[in-house]
Amino acid sequence: MTQYREAYIMEVERFAIHDGPGIRSTVFLQGCPLRCPWCANPESQTQGPHLMYQARKCVRCLGCVQVCPIGAVTAFEGRPQFDRDRCIGCGTCKSVCPGGAISYIGSRMRTDAIVQILSRDAAYYRESGGGVTFSGGEPFVQFPVLYELLVLCRERGYHTAIETTGDTPWENMEKALPFVDLFLFDVKHWNAGWIDRVTGGNGERIQANFARLASLAADKITARIPVIPGYNYTEDDLRRIFALIASCGVKRADLLPYHTLGVDKYSELGRKYSLRSVKMLSKKELSGYRDMGREYGLQVEI
Amino acid sequence: MADKTDILKATTNVEILPKLPIDKTPEEQLEIMEEYTRVHQATEDEPKEIREVKCLRVLYPRMFRSIDDRDLIAGRYDALPIGFGCVTSVGGVGHYCIFNKLETFREGLDEEQKGRVDALAAYWERRDTKAQFVNAYMDGVIMNAFSNASYACPVAAGIRLSGMMLDYNKLVAKGIDGLRQEIRFRDDGDGNPFYRGCLMALDLFADCCDYLAKEAEKRAEGAAPRRRKELLRMADSLRRIKKEPPQTFHEAVQLVWLYALLAGVINYGRLDDVLGEFLQRDLEEGLLTRQEAKDIIKSLWLLIENKRTTVNGRVIIGGRGRKNPEAADIFGRLCLEVCRECRYVEPQFTLRLYEDTPPDMFDMAMQCLAEGATYPTLYNDAAHIPGLMHCMRVSEQAAEQYAPFGCGEMNLVGLTIGTPNSIINLTKTLNIALNEGVDPYDGLYKAGPVKLKKLEDIRTYEEFYEEQYGKLHDYYVDLCVEAQCNSYKLLNQNVSFLFNSMLMADCLEKGKALLDGGIRYLGGCCETYGNINCSDSLYAIKKLVFDQRKYTLRQINDALLADFQGYEAMRRDMLDCEKYGNDQDEVDEIAVECYNRVSQRVRRIGIEKGLHYYGIVIINNEANTKWGLKTSASADGRKNLVYLNPSNNPQGGADKNGPTAMLNSLVKLPVKWHVGAVQNIKFQKSFFMENIELMKSLFRTYFKNGGCQLMVTVVDSGALEDAMVHPEKYPDLIVRVSGFSAVFVNLRKETQQELLSRTLYDAV
Repeated sequence: MTQYREAYIMEVERFAIHDGPGIRSTVFLQGCPLRCPWCANPESQTQGPHLMYQARKCVRCLGCVQVCPIGAVTAFEGRPQFDRDRCIGCGTCKSVCPGGAISYIGSRMRTDAIVQILSRDAAYYRESGGGVTFSGGEPFVQFPVLYELLVLCRERGYHTAIETTGDTPWENMEKALPFVDLFLFDVKHWNAGWIDRVTGGNGERIQANFARLASLAADKITARIPVIPGYNYTEDDLRRIFALIASCGVKRADLLPYHTLGVDKYSELGRKYSLRSVKMLSKKELSGYRDMGREYGLQVEI
Repeated sequence: MADKTDILKATTNVEILPKLPIDKTPEEQLEIMEEYTRVHQATEDEPKEIREVKCLRVLYPRMFRSIDDRDLIAGRYDALPIGFGCVTSVGGVGHYCIFNKLETFREGLDEEQKGRVDALAAYWERRDTKAQFVNAYMDGVIMNAFSNASYACPVAAGIRLSGMMLDYNKLVAKGIDGLRQEIRFRDDGDGNPFYRGCLMALDLFADCCDYLAKEAEKRAEGAAPRRRKELLRMADSLRRIKKEPPQTFHEAVQLVWLYALLAGVINYGRLDDVLGEFLQRDLEEGLLTRQEAKDIIKSLWLLIENKRTTVNGRVIIGGRGRKNPEAADIFGRLCLEVCRECRYVEPQFTLRLYEDTPPDMFDMAMQCLAEGATYPTLYNDAAHIPGLMHCMRVSEQAAEQYAPFGCGEMNLVGLTIGTPNSIINLTKTLNIALNEGVDPYDGLYKAGPVKLKKLEDIRTYEEFYEEQYGKLHDYYVDLCVEAQCNSYKLLNQNVSFLFNSMLMADCLEKGKALLDGGIRYLGGCCETYGNINCSDSLYAIKKLVFDQRKYTLRQINDALLADFQGYEAMRRDMLDCEKYGNDQDEVDEIAVECYNRVSQRVRRIGIEKGLHYYGIVIINNEANTKWGLKTSASADGRKNLVYLNPSNNPQGGADKNGPTAMLNSLVKLPVKWHVGAVQNIKFQKSFFMENIELMKSLFRTYFKNGGCQLMVTVVDSGALEDAMVHPEKYPDLIVRVSGFSAVFVNLRKETQQELLSRTLYDAV
């Protein structure tokens, strides 16, 4: 009998239509080697259940304080305070919360159960030219699980895409390559040192992987550039990023305008968001870069 | 306890917009109603057919409204509080008196006139069709006749002949004289009053043509040249169709419209099949330009809109079983253009999709929807035809003639009576069963002879489902079937619906009126409400009481009786239970089980009681809301007196896995057990527009998966602001956030605000 592995996932999102072509399902895997300050999915960075507390739904009954079996919830000025380092993710507090203010993100699910969910929309993938996307976090962090899922999807004939930071040993990428139809590969900056410094990732490895993957399968890659004011939102930076992408033979790039929609999640996780003063970008503001991309032979989407 | 006859004073049908004011003086209206009443009284001993025509003669042509300056087709009619009809949407049913409308009418009169109205009311008190129905068959507690007041009951019934789909192909082929000939040919001279009545009805039709032709000619005098031409064409057409079959598109439209009007019919069926060849010929021969043809269709649209029947006015295009699909599609394409250009609430314009639907027509339909028209509603032949063959017990050829009417019930053109004359509230049924026979809504005992168990004596879920809910459910279903049969019996005692009978198989052949054994397939349907609240509640009970043993049945019932006050945590547990609409098999299977139980019993008992078929419909008008307001809290977490789930859809907000999951849940209900189940789906406008190709794929896949129907709402960005104030109205409004899509009202307020500002920013 086949042994299926267990994955740490955030969720399987169905009818995902912006993570690759057609109607897709996106599997959000937990774990990421990077810590980008603008990250919109902070709950994806580490594996395991993360307690989320929405203060606006809290009715201040403090039932959670009373029931926590390890005393990790205390009352402070009439509201609960959670010691997340001690939280064991048992869910007792959630079960007594009348307002639904407490939830957990992150659970373990076997790969066959994940594929079971994916299979339900197979007819929609076929009709629309869609498929399955693996996102994160960084999906390569759980490589054995990712590989298993890719093989299972290939067996079923689903188109597969991976959203990746590229920060993984090359062997993983090479092994995955035959089972992946599309890499949505992050290119956050042209300077490897900058990537090390700002995101905590391995800039050199990321750039080497990008180049190497492109040399084997450039047409399977769409570069994705998160455009973040104060980090890479200058014409010079973007030109250099375009040049880097084009030099590797990749033809498509998406610009992802900075947004603040993940900000609330930081407070719900009891964390601080460091980019609080940075303004969102609109698609319009970036529209000029479409033409600039063309100068480099890139087809740029926003 | 409400007196069961109070029901006669209550409003009956959905009326979102009031009718156009009657264009006759109150005195004249009163005189006509008095005349109608006199004739009705004087013909008491005559055959019902003769009485029917003589009464119609009082109303026609007198109650025609004058021709509107915009009309290219003649025929507007005002229904009085007393008169003759088929349905409650225009006047009433059979020989009727609508007491609440008569009372309103009375208010504006002088004392002498008031006395005359009172005399009329006294006469009709025992003669109005609905009054007879209520007095003979309604108990007033478990079942009452349809009205706002009947929603305290778990079941209700109506007496009406809704949704008739007449064989207009026969009408335009034969013409009025052709029908006369057929009647004379079939009448073997033994004085069958049905044939006599039919001939008299056709005479009346011809007189109406003359009357309207004269009016058109009179109006043509002194009219501007262009209008004069239009009015004279109207008069010419009327004089032609008075006797002969129509030769042109205009004549054919005029004939169908006027005949439907006199028949009291307000759903128009497969007009592309009837009118397409006339249109094609006129266009080819240069008798009409495309624009002129479109203007005629627009005029028809306006006439339908102005009737304001709210939940009717079906015009259907497309699908299998049309005699000349190419010609029909010429008409269909023009209709789609008119649909884009005229934003009316009626006609309920409907597109039947099948293997040969031209791609451009599907694209045009999607464009209409994207722009927020909400029309056409989409039907899938591949699902419906085999489904109806089974449920209605008819051949494939017959099932191909299906035509949705009203809110989504079905008839087969020229072949069936499928009127929905009973309705059942499954959530209320469950609540009464759970409360051991007493309706928590009003404290009245409503289990009749059914012996229900004490909750403490129930050991298993199966026992609860079969012995408690099931028994009560079956009892109510049987009452519904009985009421439907009784409505036919009573109608047949009083009326023949002659104009309907002449165009329905096999009335002329048999020499019998519709309900006198004439119609080929006497069917009908029962509307079911609260299906999903009921099944989600059963699932929660199964989980929390029998699987997890977290609560007892008694505790659940106590919480519901208290509307969850003091039981907030239990309510959260109920809300946390999985819900139908998320493509999760365990809970969806309970929905399928509930659906199978009600649909199969309705059908089986209906057939046992002598109907050719009896099916359920899962449709929606406002009954889910209004009935919900009289339905106590339910175990799915729904609070006391809150609207019920709409039609076949999850309770608002319960579907959280996106449209593919919702649509996958929908297709789990086997089509072969119903005669109409409608699905609502709603999208945010710019999202829909930007992703229209994906939307097409979404719908196509759903139909390939066996989905039978879709009603698509696309709302514009102004709706988002409203959604913040009234989130309960927008439970499934999908918006694009950024890198992900979400249901608007599920987003945090801050995110909503952010989206709002952004949308306005991008709006220009």
